[in-house]
Amino acid sequence: MMMSLLARRRADKRALVMGLALIVLAIVVERDAAAQTVASTYGIGPTAMPIAVAGFLAVLGVGHFVAAFRDGMPVPEHADGIAIAWIALGLIALLLCIAFGGGFVLATTLLFVVTARAFGRRVLLADAAIGFGLGVSIHLLFSKLLTLSLPAGPLERLFYRSS
Amino acid sequence: MSYFTKTIRGVAVAALTLVASTTFAQEELKIIAPAGPGGGWDSAARSIQQVLTQNGLAKSVQVVNVPGAGGTIGLAQFVNTAKGDPSQLLVNGITMVGAILSNKAPVNLDQVTPIARLTGDPLVIVVPANSPIKAIEELAAAVKADPAKVTWAGGSAGGADHILAALFTKAAGSDPAKVNYVAFSGGGEALAAMLGGKVTAGVSGYGEFESQIKAGKLRALALSAGKRLAGVDVPTLKEQGMNVEVVNWRAIMGAPDITDEERKALTDKIEKVVQSKEWAEILKQKGWDDYYLAGEPFQAFLKEEQERVGEVLRSVGLVKS
Amino acid sequence: MDAFFALGQGFLVALEPTKLLFAGIGVLLGTAVGVLPGIGPALTVALLLPVTFKLDPTGSIIMFAGIYYGGMYGGSTTAILINAPGESASVATAIEGNKMAKAGRGGPALATSAIGSFVAGTFATIGLAFFAPLLVQLAVSFGPWDYFALMVLAFVTVSATFGESPLRGLTSLAIGLMLGLVGIDILTGQARMAFGVPELLDGVEVTTLAVGLFAVGEALYVASRFKGNPEEIVPIKGSLWMSREDWRRSWRPWLRGAALGFPIGALPAGGAEVPTFLSYVTEKKLSKHPDEFGHGAIEGVAGPEAANNASAAGTLVPLLTLGLPTSATAAIMLAGFQQYGLNPGPLLFTENPALVWGVVASLFIANAMLLVLNLPLVGLWVRLLAIPQPWLYAGILVFAAMGTVAANPSVVEVGMLFVFGFLGLLMRRWDYPVAPMVVGLILGPMAEAQIRRSMQITLGDPLVFFENPGSATLLMLAAIALLAPFAMKGLSRFRAAED
Repeated sequence: MMMSLLARRRADKRALVMGLALIVLAIVVERDAAAQTVASTYGIGPTAMPIAVAGFLAVLGVGHFVAAFRDGMPVPEHADGIAIAWIALGLIALLLCIAFGGGFVLATTLLFVVTARAFGRRVLLADAAIGFGLGVSIHLLFSKLLTLSLPAGPLERLFYRSS
Repeated sequence: MSYFTKTIRGVAVAALTLVASTTFAQEELKIIAPAGPGGGWDSAARSIQQVLTQNGLAKSVQVVNVPGAGGTIGLAQFVNTAKGDPSQLLVNGITMVGAILSNKAPVNLDQVTPIARLTGDPLVIVVPANSPIKAIEELAAAVKADPAKVTWAGGSAGGADHILAALFTKAAGSDPAKVNYVAFSGGGEALAAMLGGKVTAGVSGYGEFESQIKAGKLRALALSAGKRLAGVDVPTLKEQGMNVEVVNWRAIMGAPDITDEERKALTDKIEKVVQSKEWAEILKQKGWDDYYLAGEPFQAFLKEEQERVGEVLRSVGLVKS
Repeated sequence: MDAFFALGQGFLVALEPTKLLFAGIGVLLGTAVGVLPGIGPALTVALLLPVTFKLDPTGSIIMFAGIYYGGMYGGSTTAILINAPGESASVATAIEGNKMAKAGRGGPALATSAIGSFVAGTFATIGLAFFAPLLVQLAVSFGPWDYFALMVLAFVTVSATFGESPLRGLTSLAIGLMLGLVGIDILTGQARMAFGVPELLDGVEVTTLAVGLFAVGEALYVASRFKGNPEEIVPIKGSLWMSREDWRRSWRPWLRGAALGFPIGALPAGGAEVPTFLSYVTEKKLSKHPDEFGHGAIEGVAGPEAANNASAAGTLVPLLTLGLPTSATAAIMLAGFQQYGLNPGPLLFTENPALVWGVVASLFIANAMLLVLNLPLVGLWVRLLAIPQPWLYAGILVFAAMGTVAANPSVVEVGMLFVFGFLGLLMRRWDYPVAPMVVGLILGPMAEAQIRRSMQITLGDPLVFFENPGSATLLMLAAIALLAPFAMKGLSRFRAAED
């Protein structure tokens, strides 16, 4: 019975990938636990839980291998890779703005524009204006009302000078 | 618990322009509180801010919260971005000394310019009201008999509470490596464990347990400070023949590589803060104990404290040398 | 009888026009700030603490109470509307709430959460007024072993709802448990899974994971299908308000949510997350429409939201009676009390009864005010979903980014949001449930700390879990929850055979 199943289906690639990823995670967790130097004097030490989690991950990894040869995994629908890439670009822009002092307003404007682009809009200027407006109003709300400063960049400084 | 912080990255440019006009450089100050809003370091930073602006010692003072990892994230940012900038200050305390060691932080307190020690809160050793232990000698005897059976509740591992429990164990004639210290995340949880009689003894700042002690739910055995607290009928450890003193001190630091004149100017400013009546008011209101010490003596104290804390953490096995 | 009289006195204090004004301002500010994702009630109270500086103690603490409850309401609004829970206690609400919102039932979802919060808040406040001294006895008698047993119960019951495939549900949970390992180990102060990155020492923020998986993951997923198979968002379908059917399906979950939330919230380490998840599971089990769960079942919003608010009132029990701050918000409120030289604790009720009962009374008032404030807002909130999808999702991402950046503007934090967002996309495409991961992150570290504390205190005696009545009972419940489905199956087969 098992053999006939094996023969009938080719291994499900996605399940294999997940199984492999889980095994890798299990190894990472186990290695990290093994590198711990401090033990508890009494009771359970700081490595017990990581080892249990690593074991759990490994078992699930094996479970995925088994599933790969039996039922497999649900087949995802077609994805629009370009749309995903646009949003990824927006999130990377956000990351870079935080890392290199581009400021919150610039970051949100970029994020807004590219996300709208990912959803098929091409009216760049209008979207940029909305994103900018949103960013500025959030920034003002935080800095003036809540006295919390979101990351400042050239745009924000321009703002403070003039006000 | 989503706490708010601010990066100081990117503001370095603004700071440089401030430095350019040295005469005004000290008018606009920035104090880094390496913790989230609401905690001890944050309220110390905000209190200093309040007094500085009220007394016209600075035109404006900004408090920036950089929480994380016992203050070491704030310290690392301060060391890396405030170099030579006399307009920036950092609040810290004994917990940071321990955190630097146990987190293996890439920076340490030798890299910043010590300005002054400000406050020092004594810790208190308590037992639940229904505990058979009535006096500190009995607790010491129990520790000496079997340290494993004496469970301590307190704050985070490697913090001031833990250090006191370890030093007490040592003074009681037992091995500090054997101290059975149960770390709790918030003050509330440790207190609950104590009220419920789940542990033998507890350590915390006196202020945090004050109302429980007054209400008779906890029995205070000893204070960890060098002298008694005014109006509090709890003897110190030293009075009771145990040579242990641990104070949860808070201090203020200047940026790395500032000149001697700049350091002096900052020290003078802080001295004016400490001598003001507003500061006295704040100390009273927050229940903090004045522990002011500046200049050379403070530097010496800091050095000593770093060595002492390192030694304790090694003895309990939290830091491997 | 004394309590009734004292509460009456309290109402006299709280109903003074100026006090009412303070409560009103507090409620308004709390809601406004609490609505921002990433800014939960704790930060809301911390930020608004200075506003209350200039008031007298009673007035300022009444305002606090308003801010606190207001912040709780605000958190659920973003969870329902844009799938971005502002705090970990709103995660359970987001699961069904957002599904409802997208199906045009955002109105009833917001209404049931507002009314449920009111009902639960009122019951819990009554509980606070009359049973606080009793409850607090129970609360402090709860030891680490009892907490561990509670966590086991939560794990067992919650994992029964992990969707069609146990393999994929458990995988999601395991990754959550793994994320829970990141950071400084509380009992030894050692860094685990931090890989030398200092920002990881404080662990993975629950809201970052939840917003990443839920809001960012969802935006990516919808974008990926927008061209071929665009998702339809219906802002309003049917009535904007709760129908008779909705009421019928909501009232029991409200009461059950309150019954779970209040006592667990009163436990010093109970928190608001455990009761919300327990409530979600309970409602799913008891619902006559279990098939609707996962597609927007109103019980799944009503129960957890009620539990959330009841647990908020619950945390006030140890705070007011013992001076025990058991949540971040309570810790900040304690700081607020102390600012006026008031030390909450065993003596507060005797030393300053007017203040205490004034606070309790103003909690009732704040609750009523919130209902009045929030119900008219429902129509406005729901219309936000009528925004064209490109702008709606762009706005959601901006708000998600704002929440993360405001909470911690570090590259590592934003990077995590990014990674969790893509993980959310992958999991949606490959049909892995996302909620168990958040559950693992929340419960894993709590369970670990409690079992280790138990073993440390008892010097490694596992029998402690069975010798204590509390933990023994909870473990028995967990065993029943684990075995009941099998027993039920057997029973129904037996019945079928008899027919």
